[in-house]
Amino acid sequence: MGKKRRLSGAVLIDGRSIWTRNACPKVSQYGESLRRFQGVEHRRWDPTRSKLGAALARARHTQYDLLPEEGSTCLYLGAGHGTSLSHIHDQVCGPDNQMAGRIIAVDLSPRCLRDLIHMAKIRPGLVPILGDARNFSAWGVMVSTKVDWLFQDVSQAGQVGIFIDAVNRFLKPGGKGLLSLKAASERWTGQGERAVFESVAEQLLEAGFTIEEQINLHGLEDNHSLFFIYN
Amino acid sequence: MWLWYDWRAAAVADERGNILDIDEWSGWGDLDRLCARLDMVSHQEITPEVEVLLSRFPDVQVRIHGDPDLPNADWPLPSAGAIECLDKAAVLISKRGVDAAAGDPDRRLEHILRASDELRAAYITIEGRLIEWVGLFLPEARFERERAALADKVLDSESLADLSKLLDIGMPERGPSAKEWQCLGDWARSACEIKIRLESMEDVVRELGASHLPSLSALLGPILASRLCVEAHGRARLARLPAGTMQILGAEKAFFSHLKTGTPPPKHGHIFMHPWVSHSPRWIRGKISRMLAAKATIAVRCDEFGGQLWTEEAIAEIADRVETIREENPYPSQR
Repeated sequence: MGKKRRLSGAVLIDGRSIWTRNACPKVSQYGESLRRFQGVEHRRWDPTRSKLGAALARARHTQYDLLPEEGSTCLYLGAGHGTSLSHIHDQVCGPDNQMAGRIIAVDLSPRCLRDLIHMAKIRPGLVPILGDARNFSAWGVMVSTKVDWLFQDVSQAGQVGIFIDAVNRFLKPGGKGLLSLKAASERWTGQGERAVFESVAEQLLEAGFTIEEQINLHGLEDNHSLFFIYN
Repeated sequence: MWLWYDWRAAAVADERGNILDIDEWSGWGDLDRLCARLDMVSHQEITPEVEVLLSRFPDVQVRIHGDPDLPNADWPLPSAGAIECLDKAAVLISKRGVDAAAGDPDRRLEHILRASDELRAAYITIEGRLIEWVGLFLPEARFERERAALADKVLDSESLADLSKLLDIGMPERGPSAKEWQCLGDWARSACEIKIRLESMEDVVRELGASHLPSLSALLGPILASRLCVEAHGRARLARLPAGTMQILGAEKAFFSHLKTGTPPPKHGHIFMHPWVSHSPRWIRGKISRMLAAKATIAVRCDEFGGQLWTEEAIAEIADRVETIREENPYPSQR
């Protein structure tokens, strides 16, 4: 048993494992384990299945800042089957959306959206949108206000360009932006993934963001790095 | 001057961001109208509010909400209640999008074709075991001709003696116990059932393939056409493949081993299933599959991009071409 500490009202770190307070009691979203801490049910955040979870496990000095505030508005590009998303929901919305948060999740695949729509039924505050993360004009109208927190995990060439455009378009000044970068999706220059990450960091600085931390996810999610920026 | 708009309102502001005029839409309480409105804006169409403001301020630059050109201003953003309705509408639109995916013939073809492949693999093992099993008890029996009918015959006979009479062969000394024979009968029944299911599945594949890829089906047959379509992950992608890729689609293993280790390149992939290729002598299969793949790329492009359907004559011409290739190369080339 390690030492327990809380990152926020909903997120708890117990030794090496991360737990979030389950906004939807008794339901395990993707087969993760459930456990009670002081009478409140928590879900284990598996860092090998969620890049955000991995970043939380690996972050050196931004662990307390990485996650969105309770009740904030979030935009999640490339939501997939909603593994990370469910934990974000625990943090931002809570049971029955008590904290009045709002998470807009965009994904291209109808198969993934099927799972997300099902999840949105039991987790109010979650808004799944079927659309291409690159093509803002097709779904940008559903994001009426600027968001406080933006996460992107799209694993395709030109991820940085999409991220910079998305931050400029949707993120509030001073908002937090997280880019999960898959080195293998970018053009391979033959100089290894470190070179890819360096050029990405350069592009982000050029776009006028401050990089708070670059978190290497090696070991939990190979060839990935997560960039945490402030707009 | 700038004209800002989103799904709910439109506003005009001057260069310094002072709002001059606002027009708002209040019909967002109705979910269906809201969905229609969102659809309109996401296609970059102009809302009625914009038109109203345009008639008052003809020389403004129209920009949608979020456009980086717009100056900072106190735009009339939606209230919390409106955003709640917006979220409901967004989920509804996503649901409709997911429902629409069920109408996608590419996805439907993929499931039914892969399912029928799996069932066929099961059928082959079950049927093979049945033949061996019966052959053990009736060593005299020969099934070369009526292999497929054996399962029915086993089902029709009460005992091994019945079966040997049906097959018109002598009865051996040893036979299975009654319970064992029962199991054998059940095994034969499952072979029969799977065969029937397989046939109905392949009928559906034929039907779907012929309607989704009419020209390609006319050329290659609906099942092969569907298989190529599934292998390429959809008709839109298949139509964009070069003929060389079409020719070796389904022979990826041989192709990449060729690229990596220099083994001989594959001459045909799934297209080998076509009798023009598989029933030709070995030394011209490459020529025919190359020609056929080139024709197939044209056919699938006709299907995808709305070209003319291929007629019997067009296919007869290709059949003639196959004949010519066969006649021109009666013997393998000497090297």
